Amino acid sequence: MIDLFDVARRLSAADVQFVIVGGIAIRGHGGNYITEDLDICYSRTRDNLKKIADVLAPLDPRPRGIDKDLPFVFDWTTLQHGTNFTFETTKGDVDLLGEVKGIGGYDELVQASIIVDFEGFPTKLLSIPSLIVAKEAAGRPKDQAGLQVLYALREAESDE
Amino acid sequence: MKRTPEQKLLDPRPGSRIAAAAEYGIDLTQLVENLRRTPAERIRRNDDVVNSVRKIEAAVRRAKAEAKSK
Repeated sequence: MIDLFDVARRLSAADVQFVIVGGIAIRGHGGNYITEDLDICYSRTRDNLKKIADVLAPLDPRPRGIDKDLPFVFDWTTLQHGTNFTFETTKGDVDLLGEVKGIGGYDELVQASIIVDFEGFPTKLLSIPSLIVAKEAAGRPKDQAGLQVLYALREAESDE
Repeated sequence: MKRTPEQKLLDPRPGSRIAAAAEYGIDLTQLVENLRRTPAERIRRNDDVVNSVRKIEAAVRRAKAEAKSK
């Protein structure tokens, strides 16, 4: 059973510096997009890497697509040695991104995000206009439906 | 008179992005329903849908395996 909401809520509760991007962000804005992973862009400070590791470690994260018999150690230094990670966890797939194409890293994304309430914990979602920029920059055919949803939501929420 | 997001989605103006999304195949009534929920509820619902789909997939796999074994 996946529980991506709980993963995001745990990150917020631990005061991790992150912004939700991708399908869960579209969903959070009201899109009917269905996704099986939580994509976040995160701050790469040492303190933040330690907080992320503390939150994810109990969820038994492992890199996706890697032989399960291979040894893998997850701690904050694992995160220090890379930028982008695709993990499977006991609560669903979690992707950690050092930056988002078309927008930048965590500091830029914070400026382009809105804060929503995750049952008591303020959590940052990339804004609709910035999700559009990111999806357009990615230029992937699979994003076309999500882009149509975002265009519609942007227009619905405009002042026109 | 200014229209609400819900009104715009339920009655899109011809040539608008919303009308284009409907033409593309986006179910605008689902967007309306989602906008009535909180962000937390919307994401919890995503989890529920994925978990339901996985249960269906597992049931289909079991049914196929049983059919093969007969």
